[in-house]
Amino acid sequence: MNETIVTYFAKFEWYKSLVKALTEMLGFNAEPLMVFLFFFLAAFIVVNVMAVTAGLATYAERKISADLQLRMGPNRVGPYGLIQFLADGVKFIMKEGIIPKSADKFLFTLAPILCLAGVLGSLTVVPYSSGFILSDLDIGLFFLIGISSLVGLGIFLGGYASNSKWAMLGGMRAAAQIISYEIPVVISGLSCVLLAGGLSFTTLIEAQTGFPQGWFVFHNPFTFIGFFVFFIGGLAETNRAPFDLPEAESELVSGYHTEYSGMRFAFFALAEYIEVFVVSGVAVALFLGGYNVPFGLGGDGILGQFLQLGAFFSKTLALYYVVIWFRWTLPRLRVDHLMTLCWKYLTPIAIFNLIGTGFWLYGFEGKSLFELLFKSGAAAAGGGH
Amino acid sequence: MFGNILFLVSALFSVLGAVGVVATKNIMHACVYLLMSLIGVAGLYLTLGADFVAATQLVVYVGGVVILMVFAVMLTGGADSQKSNRFGIKKTPMMGSIGTYIAGGISAILASYIVIFRLLPKVFEAQPVNSTMAFDKTVEKIGMLLVSDHVLAFEISSVLLLGALVGAAVIARPKRN
Repeated sequence: MNETIVTYFAKFEWYKSLVKALTEMLGFNAEPLMVFLFFFLAAFIVVNVMAVTAGLATYAERKISADLQLRMGPNRVGPYGLIQFLADGVKFIMKEGIIPKSADKFLFTLAPILCLAGVLGSLTVVPYSSGFILSDLDIGLFFLIGISSLVGLGIFLGGYASNSKWAMLGGMRAAAQIISYEIPVVISGLSCVLLAGGLSFTTLIEAQTGFPQGWFVFHNPFTFIGFFVFFIGGLAETNRAPFDLPEAESELVSGYHTEYSGMRFAFFALAEYIEVFVVSGVAVALFLGGYNVPFGLGGDGILGQFLQLGAFFSKTLALYYVVIWFRWTLPRLRVDHLMTLCWKYLTPIAIFNLIGTGFWLYGFEGKSLFELLFKSGAAAAGGGH
Repeated sequence: MFGNILFLVSALFSVLGAVGVVATKNIMHACVYLLMSLIGVAGLYLTLGADFVAATQLVVYVGGVVILMVFAVMLTGGADSQKSNRFGIKKTPMMGSIGTYIAGGISAILASYIVIFRLLPKVFEAQPVNSTMAFDKTVEKIGMLLVSDHVLAFEISSVLLLGALVGAAVIARPKRN
């Protein structure tokens, strides 16, 4: 059965007493109502926290890029310019949403919504901690791949519906890029599924430990390469630099969202920044130990949950920093280089990694490199007597 | 309660999407309505407890087939199809001849007979929707069945897909003079 955030809270006494009190007050079984309310509340909190994280990420992006280029960055609104993103959000809301006269109005309004819906849907299975996961589906990773494919369609339809050649080219590039890079990402993720023996994120994370020697990235040489393949492919799927061809400013004005303004543009931007968080979070969950805390500090209670949240968020935000760092360091790839990288390098490497991981599992009975080294070292030192 | 709501929403999605595909004149809009219908079908799979099939529906149809269809429509210039008269529908208000009308009428009667008298009673007799939404794990079972009982079908379909892949590469390859 799938674990959810509601089944986590249902273990506590106060939840049961709350259900009991509500049942007595309302006169009918309040269990489904409570489940609905808790899911609604949890989803509300997750979406809002993610929106604020995305907002702060735009601030971080501007500050870090300013740092890398010896500039100041935003520093007028609030202390250190911290609430600059709120001012930007207010501006987005106040702006007039313009739809070009010859655009396809139905698709033009639908595209940003599809984009955001795909990203927010993928938040369902992102494991923040062992209890705070909206729904730990048995098909977690597969569900994530499925629901996030809406993003590619949204971007492509946005480019098509704008009826502008720049948007059109950007949308076509985005669709080709997202479909192509899904393959190395999925195959390198699959090697972790092999090691853990399950698709659900809790299974994947429980198979790792809080310390780096238990992480899948250091499990064997194949997963070590696989992590980089996964991360590069994930970068390309979120259309971030150096893979930001769909919105290449120097060639295509602004790519697929050239004709968008106001909140519709904000939806695209929000979707991109949340998707970077999701990709970093999934990379952390698959390869970098996820929410595991060393020594299981904090136990099973609420304190442990918050420590796990801290572990997950600090690793994810560190990867987020790397993504921003890449953007302001590396130049953009050319279109043919992009496809060459995907089909001639990343995909064969990912397939090789998958087969190699399979052989490793068969040959060393699933032991990690550290276990093997420690065992042989102990044997050489005369241990085991 | 959740099961019923999920069933109603996804059934509404799939039916409305299917009606939209037929009703709209713009072929791109038809693709998007088809997407809506396919998502509704994925929801129907979920109500039946087949979560893996639902996710596969999303991956294959939403992520692959619909994008490919939109691509194909766009690259073949289908965007202004509402202006052109490609299928001759506007030219001939009375499509078809007496023969096609007779065949269509008989098949319509047959189909409605099967739906009303054979299928619908079974639908109403069928099990009620799973109300607790507590499902068994399906992924392991599907995996075991794929490599044990249905290994031949699995291998044949993988060879077929490999053939399609090689064929596409051969067709797309630039010709050397």
